[in-house]
Amino acid sequence: MIRDKEHHVLVIGGGIAGIQVSLDLAEMGFFVHMVEKLPSIGGKMAQLDKTFPTNDCAI
Amino acid sequence: MKRLALKSKDVRIGVFVCHCGSNIAGYLDCKAVADYASTLPGVVYSTTNLYTCSESGIAEIKRAITEKKLTRVVVASCSPRTHEPLFKSACKEAGLNPYLFEMVNIRDQCSWVHMNSRDEATEKAKNLVRMGVAKAWFLEPQEDFEMPIEARVAVIGGGVAGLSAAESLADMGVSVVLIEKSPQLGGLTLKLNSLAPHLHNPDDLVNPLIERVEHHPKIKVYKESSIKKIEGYVGNYRIELDVKDQGVIQEAVSAVVVAVGAKPYIPQGLYGYDGERVITQFELEQRLKSKGVGDAKNVVMIQCVGARSQTEGEKSYCSRICCATAVKNALILKERFPDIKVSILYRDIQTYGSDFEAMLWKARSMGVRFYVYDPSDPPKVADNAVLVRSKIFSDDVLELPADIVVLSTPLVASDEAPVIANLMRIPTDANNFFLEAHVKLRPLDFATDGVFLCGSCRFPCTSEEARIQGMGAAARVGALLAKGKVISSALVAEVDSSTCCGCQGCLRICPYGAITYDEGRHVCQVNPILCKGCGACTAACPSQSVQLKGFRPSQLLPQVRAAMESLKEMFVSCEL
Amino acid sequence: MDVGRHPKIELIAYSEVEKIDGTVGAFDVTIRKKARYVDESKCTGCGACAEKCPTRVPDPYNEGLGERKAIYRYFAQGIPSTYTIDPDACRHLAGLRAEKEGADKSKIKKCGVCAKICQAKAIDYSQQDQIIHRQVEAIVLAVGYEVLKPEGITEYGYGRVPNVVTAIEFERLLSASGPTAGHLYRPADFVGKKKMPEHLPHAKRLAFIQCVGSRDGRRFIHCSGFCCMHSIKEAIIAKEHDSELEAWIFGMDIRAVGKGFEEYRLKAEQIGVKFVRSRVAEITKGPNGLPIVWYEDTRARRVYSREFDIVVLASACLPPKDAPLLAEKFGIELDSFGFIKTRPFAPFDSTREGIFVCGCARGPADIPESVAQASSAAARVAQVVLQEARKVAMQ
Repeated sequence: MIRDKEHHVLVIGGGIAGIQVSLDLAEMGFFVHMVEKLPSIGGKMAQLDKTFPTNDCAI
Repeated sequence: MKRLALKSKDVRIGVFVCHCGSNIAGYLDCKAVADYASTLPGVVYSTTNLYTCSESGIAEIKRAITEKKLTRVVVASCSPRTHEPLFKSACKEAGLNPYLFEMVNIRDQCSWVHMNSRDEATEKAKNLVRMGVAKAWFLEPQEDFEMPIEARVAVIGGGVAGLSAAESLADMGVSVVLIEKSPQLGGLTLKLNSLAPHLHNPDDLVNPLIERVEHHPKIKVYKESSIKKIEGYVGNYRIELDVKDQGVIQEAVSAVVVAVGAKPYIPQGLYGYDGERVITQFELEQRLKSKGVGDAKNVVMIQCVGARSQTEGEKSYCSRICCATAVKNALILKERFPDIKVSILYRDIQTYGSDFEAMLWKARSMGVRFYVYDPSDPPKVADNAVLVRSKIFSDDVLELPADIVVLSTPLVASDEAPVIANLMRIPTDANNFFLEAHVKLRPLDFATDGVFLCGSCRFPCTSEEARIQGMGAAARVGALLAKGKVISSALVAEVDSSTCCGCQGCLRICPYGAITYDEGRHVCQVNPILCKGCGACTAACPSQSVQLKGFRPSQLLPQVRAAMESLKEMFVSCEL
Repeated sequence: MDVGRHPKIELIAYSEVEKIDGTVGAFDVTIRKKARYVDESKCTGCGACAEKCPTRVPDPYNEGLGERKAIYRYFAQGIPSTYTIDPDACRHLAGLRAEKEGADKSKIKKCGVCAKICQAKAIDYSQQDQIIHRQVEAIVLAVGYEVLKPEGITEYGYGRVPNVVTAIEFERLLSASGPTAGHLYRPADFVGKKKMPEHLPHAKRLAFIQCVGSRDGRRFIHCSGFCCMHSIKEAIIAKEHDSELEAWIFGMDIRAVGKGFEEYRLKAEQIGVKFVRSRVAEITKGPNGLPIVWYEDTRARRVYSREFDIVVLASACLPPKDAPLLAEKFGIELDSFGFIKTRPFAPFDSTREGIFVCGCARGPADIPESVAQASSAAARVAQVVLQEARKVAMQ
């Protein structure tokens, strides 16, 4: 599939969407450069206490 | 209690007690713990680190393994969830089997919860290390399972979700087998008149997609096919199909995407449904697409018919898309017949997001009337009108003239869903929608490896959402296939067939479908590729025949005993 | 955590993209790595520096309800775990700046405690922003959304009436890692005080106001998609903390449309959460200094007013503040709601080839939708990058 050359992608944003797209692309063999403007990733989800509808911890 | 016998020659344990900066060292005496560890049977090397996970800490572990000829490594630091993989790699790089590594948590489980009792915390850390050393004595070397995996996938269902998954996968270079039960690809979407919110013609979305899929060199399409059998597991599925005019066909694939869609609910016995004057929203779509609505002057739509209900036979959920569909069709009726009167009777108007909400505002501005009703006092369909008590206006019953009554009913699981669920042993919920691995974080995976889902068979969704989910499932499959092999942890369950009595308690409790029953030998067996090492089977087994590698009773019980006894009392150094 | 450890992901945090040149298959991206004044390769995240730092400022992670130090980690489990010095708060950096500008040395307050205490010698006050370049074949914008700060909606009294908070501020109040360790104290009782007072009363009556700034012809007509659900969730969790608590949700339509959501809403009703079909007209400050909610119960056709301890505003989900700037910088278009525009039938393609978008940057989406979108955007990126590579190979 993606074996011949290493392909590079830039992801801007380290919230849940940015994290998921980076992980999926990396698992598929792409090299991902992730840029986040805050000192750490996690986005809004890291500020939530629990998430609906399962009341799991957001972290 | 019996003393445990061991061969002591092979056991040379190295203990590394981490300061974790001040996270551990600030609350207990790490040096005292390391000194204590050096007195334990089998421990030939014991030291402290500032940060065992740092480059220098890792280098020290590797050096000690080589110089001191260590055969076991115990790290007393943080949670295994942070750095266990790192420490295991370090062992592997130094030539020690990574499963001969044991981690003791003296941070989350000690220093962080006993911040004001330095002496007691130090004693507890010593006890925890003693337990870790006891277990380390009984660790066995293990090998991970590797299985090559071919880039070949089956997609079950040829609607928008399935087509999108197939197209995406094929463009990534994966071979796809697309299986559709009807003679026509395109699913429910192709039968619609128009797509909300921009009122696009479904043909413009679906036909090019069908064209690409049918002509794609990497996709094989089977239409008018039914699935007779699906056996196997990730990397190794065998599907038996019965294809019209072709007979029985076998296909071998590595992964399966389930995209069998949903169907509209027929509200027999509700609101005087007759398919003529009182019709479903879906039937309205068909009429708008073809013969039209005759000379109807008044259309009344009723939302939540057979949905959001606790009544037997009706559905409890909100079907997500019916409000947007009703508003869309109301708009279309108004555009085609400006003088037609359209009323929508609803409980909550679920036009979520930006575009659907904008559609609602447009409908209101075009004169579509909205009346809220209470589910405890639903509308009544009479011969020429619909009666509704909409308390926001008055307590009186309103009589709305109605030439056509349109019932918005939910999408319900397709007839294929329980069949596929059964064939593949994948779970469905109370509504026969498929149950994903995690409703929030893994909506397109099943808990069982190698199977994925997308579209309305998961939960009602719009055509765009179906397309999105189909592509998403393709990405998930792509991630699985990209490495060319499946690597499975060695810490899986294993059945000792000499003591297994075939009660199948383990099989019933396994959440991953990893255990099968061998009819011939009357014993159970674990598929190491599917097993996730959760240990539920070991708890269920009455004879301890199924055990979890790395967590056998012979490994855990010494650890438990070591919590209360000194190791010198526990062990004798004689042959077993 | 998976992101931080993945061998194929380079995490460039505390940085911003300044420029994108080139086309799909061959973009040249200019990135500014902002100075943390801490050496990433040395910092172990032990936290000794923050413990000793003498300067406190309002903490944006806790929406200003709590405080953090001038040297800080955005939140405890953050990845990367490197600490950062806030140059606007740090008195040592301010002192260095003043020195450079020739100010009177005797008046400058300097510090340097963090550098002295750091065992890894990771503090570097002389660190500069760095400009780096990356060559990539495709770009994904996952820049998220912003919560409307409702000061502009004057009738709701945010910022004027005590104990009126936004939903995200309420999340921080509920959270065990928040400024009150999960105790539902009334913000007016502790915000701005030097020390958390003892024996504060717990809030017993909560009001959740939906559609604040959304579905609003004066402000934003779009529906923010997930606020009905998070208000229900917050009400349920608050009642789990305290079963005697009263929770009222004031909304026009309760949009619980996802999988398991209607059942969740029913659960809320069953444990006593009240739903009132209304659009709250006004929030005023009552005689007890607590907020009063004025509303029409449309089913009863009557206007009521009621006092609550805390009023939670489900504030609109808006495109990020810098969306227009981003659009100009990156050469892409926004839709009529201000979110990043995508092409019909290509739900993740922006209007510039090779630049994709997923998550809330595209429009309001809850977590499962964002996750599903992200996975599909990944598939779309893979498809396009491989197609481009094949095109180039054939030339």
